[in-house]
Amino acid sequence: MRIPKMRYIFPLGLILAIFLDGTLTHVWSGWMITPTTFVECRTVFLWIFIAVCFGEVDHIIPWAIFAGLMYDMFYTGIIGVFLILFPLMIYITRWIMQYFEPSFIVLLLIYLIDITVLTALSYGMNLIVGQTSVSVVNFIGRTLGPTLAFNLALYVVLYYPLKRLFLKYS
Amino acid sequence: MQKPFFNKKLVVTMVSLIIAFLLIAFSIFVRNDRSTPSFIQNIGNSAAGIVDKVVNAPVEGISRVTGSVSNLTDTYQENAQLKKKLDSMNALQVENETLKQENKQLKQQLSLNKSLTSYNDISAYVISRSPSTWQNQIVISKGSNAGITKGSAVVSDKGLIGRVMEVNKNNSKVELVTTQDDAADRFAVQLIDNNGQTVNGLITGYDTDTNLLVMGQITSKENIKKGAQVITSGLGGTTPKGLFVGTVEKVVNQQAGLPTKIYIKPAADMTNLNVVTVAKRQD
Repeated sequence: MRIPKMRYIFPLGLILAIFLDGTLTHVWSGWMITPTTFVECRTVFLWIFIAVCFGEVDHIIPWAIFAGLMYDMFYTGIIGVFLILFPLMIYITRWIMQYFEPSFIVLLLIYLIDITVLTALSYGMNLIVGQTSVSVVNFIGRTLGPTLAFNLALYVVLYYPLKRLFLKYS
Repeated sequence: MQKPFFNKKLVVTMVSLIIAFLLIAFSIFVRNDRSTPSFIQNIGNSAAGIVDKVVNAPVEGISRVTGSVSNLTDTYQENAQLKKKLDSMNALQVENETLKQENKQLKQQLSLNKSLTSYNDISAYVISRSPSTWQNQIVISKGSNAGITKGSAVVSDKGLIGRVMEVNKNNSKVELVTTQDDAADRFAVQLIDNNGQTVNGLITGYDTDTNLLVMGQITSKENIKKGAQVITSGLGGTTPKGLFVGTVEKVVNQQAGLPTKIYIKPAADMTNLNVVTVAKRQD
């Protein structure tokens, strides 16, 4: 017997997370955006990731496409980057997940791979369309490193609350 | 059984890739166009702006409380320093007022109503910042309803920060001058050298390593001293004249044939923006 509460909780959390990313980046821009670091906050992907691992959410791929579309439209104006990356990340996560038993450490490593792929692919796509000319070394040092550190810290803090939430309501 | 399934997957992947890249191409085309974004994008972003303001309010409130506690500790020192500055400030203000009056009278005599320096200012607060390294953008709380037009210059309380890239009904996106986009609009700027001559140029880029703006295409390279103030020149386009950009940090003379570059320390702090002003030129 399914409890349909997840039907409301997942979209609400998703929309909240989409806008939380921009707000947190704005509020913490003092230390997130400096000449040597740029942290890309991805609470929306953490939400999708935990949902893939623990939740039973209907139509998660369309929701991921919706999240990507909002992200592109509202934040960057380049539609198509996160639109395709978020669903792709769900496929990658599911593909890796079938070989492992989910636990805190295993999921942390999968999340690390996901964030790396997500950040690297978005860099590559922007490089192709001429939105940036940053070198790979600069990208790894300034963006990828701090982004990984911040997002993994966020994962460690929010893993248990989010896991409990998804297990309880689905 | 395996083969048709694989083919279907491949087709779906290819089609979605093609659609994504078509969308990217389309949105870059719209971005570089002079007009506002497409209809659907406009409605979506306006709705998103409203939701964002709701999400933003509590987070902003919490950060303001913590911010004011830490501010309190610095206040005493700051107060002592500012008191010293205040005396000279009053004198400057009076002088400024007198000059403004005189300027107005002279303009009236010339029957010159609008010049390059006159602009309408629209204040807005920053509601969000793009969590992407490659598009250095902020979202501000006013849009076409408040009269903001695409391409207007945006300043903070200290100096120039960027240009309006996209206008929706109740919010708009501002691309900061620190962006590295090759296709970004360039600001025409000028400075006064030691001989009192005006040197014109363009902001051609941004150096991430040193946090300095690069001014290129300059008309003269003699006698430019460190600390000279750089302002927008108002030439060619939608930017009013006289917006403060920053001060000259160094002049780099390059090897034979290559153009000289002037490095400018931006006056505005791009990492701490709360209230910004959109300067819309009057003519």
